[in-house]
Amino acid sequence: MGSVVVLAERHVDAPADTIFALLQPGAGAGWLFDVTCDRLAPGAVISLQLPLSGLNEDGVTILGRIAHLRAPWRLDIVHDLPWRGRLRIRLDDAPSDEGGPGTRLRLLADLDDEGIAWLLRHRGVRVTEPLDPAERPVGLLLSKSGPGAVFAGACEQLAAMAVAEINADGGIRGQRLRLLVGDDATDPATGALEARRLVAAGCRTILAATTSASFARIADELQAAGVLLVHTLMNEGGLGSELRMQLGERPHLQLAAATGPLMDQVGGRRWFLAGNDYVWPRVVHDAAKRVLARGGATVAGEAFAPLGTRDFTPLIERIVATQADLVLSSFVGADLVAFERQCHAMGVREHCGSLALALDEPTRERIGDAAAEGLWGVSGYFEQLDDEHNAAFLARYRGTFGGLATPVSSISEGTYEALHLYAAAARDAGEDEPRVLARTLRSCRSTFARGTVAIEGPETVVQDLFVAQAVPGGFAVDRVG
Amino acid sequence: MAEDEVFDALADPVRREILAVLAEQDELSAGDLAQRIERVGRTTVSSHLRILRTAGLITEDRRGRHRFYAIDTEGAARDVIRLLQRLLEGSADAARAAVEEARRDDDGATADRAGGQAM
Repeated sequence: MGSVVVLAERHVDAPADTIFALLQPGAGAGWLFDVTCDRLAPGAVISLQLPLSGLNEDGVTILGRIAHLRAPWRLDIVHDLPWRGRLRIRLDDAPSDEGGPGTRLRLLADLDDEGIAWLLRHRGVRVTEPLDPAERPVGLLLSKSGPGAVFAGACEQLAAMAVAEINADGGIRGQRLRLLVGDDATDPATGALEARRLVAAGCRTILAATTSASFARIADELQAAGVLLVHTLMNEGGLGSELRMQLGERPHLQLAAATGPLMDQVGGRRWFLAGNDYVWPRVVHDAAKRVLARGGATVAGEAFAPLGTRDFTPLIERIVATQADLVLSSFVGADLVAFERQCHAMGVREHCGSLALALDEPTRERIGDAAAEGLWGVSGYFEQLDDEHNAAFLARYRGTFGGLATPVSSISEGTYEALHLYAAAARDAGEDEPRVLARTLRSCRSTFARGTVAIEGPETVVQDLFVAQAVPGGFAVDRVG
Repeated sequence: MAEDEVFDALADPVRREILAVLAEQDELSAGDLAQRIERVGRTTVSSHLRILRTAGLITEDRRGRHRFYAIDTEGAARDVIRLLQRLLEGSADAARAAVEEARRDDDGATADRAGGQAM
């Protein structure tokens, strides 16, 4: 894989096991890009901090997974975010000039043209993608970087799988579908810039698997562009119109499905509401206050933290001080990971049940088996769904992307669905006009890995919801109808 | 070009803003750019443009009495690969430094133990 290999090599006057032992910050000096990893083992998730200056931030987080490990000689990390690539670390015996123990240390990074394009855009360089006239472009906006990258896992792969299936099925009225991907960097202003780039590249429909903060900004800035914008992941709704659609789970339905069973299990009814400070968590909390009041529960406290917060200690101390029985966590991505890890470390799990509406498998595995155990999530899809459609879907995904590919979530499965629904609507509509396509899409219905999905208007999707509790290695899932 | 210059060039918020504005256009004249960058004056924008040009991030094209600026895409791809290589070299250098530091810590701990025994 990869069209470019970048190599660095150094001789180190120490045996390989000494160097390897110093790789992680906890165990040594953390010489490998401040690597964090709960366990060094094949298949385990791993993250690296690259000091790469960009237009919006000063560091880039690589979200990867250990592909090969033969300590202390070999460590291979594969990653999809922010770009697809591989980092190989090799140590070989190479005695020093004086005959003492020594090691040849090599680091190799593989990346492809798309990786280089991402790095260029990250630095503010304009990169355009040439389009074949026989291709019909469709845009996909993701959070390939920033705190949201944690929930973007598998989205691009499943989008590519959907596009390959659509094209194998004849494309759209003679045209091959071409996926153009933008990265909002979990930042609304960047999202708007990237959306403009996709429009300039010819996209007349853009699917957005971004935060509501980005979606709202893009919806506003693209008013005059005449393109169809579809929000594909869980959101609060409210922006649906002729050219704006919001699919995905709604907070009040998720809360109605999950809060009751959780209170029954915990045996308490006092909640603390904590989340990121933007529109979706605020709407989640407003909905929670109504749903909880109806269920005879009370709210002991509420707190918000800006997206990108890494130290939740003061906030968690407030939760502990209220002696709440339950925590509703409406953090997202890397913030949800940091919050739940710190809650676990501070002993919150011993006293409180926790429900996180944005909890999915890519997020759960970065929280880690120990810190995530017992957390509740609720959404329209979990990879563990015991269903023949899901089994066939996962077999295709794993068959295409291998056993090390990121687990599938409601967000990534929803991206796959959105592309198929778009293609079905585009075929039915019989023309390219986004308004005509949107009209068709507003009444689409199909069966996917999550079950039957029926779109009813610009912002209503009828689907089953599932409540799940994190267990080591995944989720135990219940259907709630 | 030296990567230090690229890092320095990107470290400044005004220069990042100039790059962001240029990223949306094929090219802009010095005058148009100065109008778009509101937080500093025209002379300051000119000096920022000189730094970005020296770092190889933008190109300058003189036509008549005007100068036009654009993002340097070709140089930039080369530069991104060199930048990655430098990051990898930095990590390998950090491994060397970590080994030396651990060795110093060990020597210190041994000396402490020796001192404790002498007392």
